[in-house]
Amino acid sequence: MKKLLLVCAIFALAGCANTMTAKVTMTWPDTPPDLKTACPDLAPVDPDTTKLSDALNVITANYSQYYLCKDKVDNWLDWYNNQQKIYNSVK
Amino acid sequence: MFNWLIEQALGHLPVWLWPAVAGAGTAVYFLAHLLSNFPNVKPYAIFIKPAAFLTIILGVFMYGGAGVTEILQAQIKEQEAKIAVAQQASSDANTAVQTKIVTHTKVIHDTQIVYQEKIKEVEKKIDADCKIDPEAISILNGAAKNPLGATK
Repeated sequence: MKKLLLVCAIFALAGCANTMTAKVTMTWPDTPPDLKTACPDLAPVDPDTTKLSDALNVITANYSQYYLCKDKVDNWLDWYNNQQKIYNSVK
Repeated sequence: MFNWLIEQALGHLPVWLWPAVAGAGTAVYFLAHLLSNFPNVKPYAIFIKPAAFLTIILGVFMYGGAGVTEILQAQIKEQEAKIAVAQQASSDANTAVQTKIVTHTKVIHDTQIVYQEKIKEVEKKIDADCKIDPEAISILNGAAKNPLGATK
């Protein structure tokens, strides 16, 4: 009878066993739309032009294009690293 | 589905019910023990005792389970609060990046305009002094071309 009582007590107390952990996860945020577009190709100079000013205008525009693209990559890295840090903080 | 139904059914029962069940089981058990001294009801007591004992076990088991559920729910609430803070931080980080992109794009475009204005100012002079050979433009365009092919 005592053994039976012991087995029953163990069974009853098994309800208290807490081996589970609550897991609520955070969803990864959407990338800002400005960072989702690809960088365009560089613009070519009109092959029929002989004017230096035309070439300079295209080159200047291409420099701007490069800096816009660089900024996009830098911001993308910045965004990703920040979001990963936030995401890992609640993992 | 079955688990969900069980969870819904048990989740809505008050926690105090389980110690009450165990207590009632104990009371019935001792009552049955007392009744077993009376020959008239002794045969019933033999059945009542194990049933009361099982009721005690069920009550203790479920009370333990309810305690665990309470702990888990507290953990969930804590995690949800953390996530809410993180999601706000994430949203703020997104807004900060968007603002930075807009500001930087404006600065880059404005700088381009400044240099194109400077070119306009000296356009006549530089075009008169220098004629570009088509070969030079061909080389320049060749160098500007993406060696990996067109951007998608």
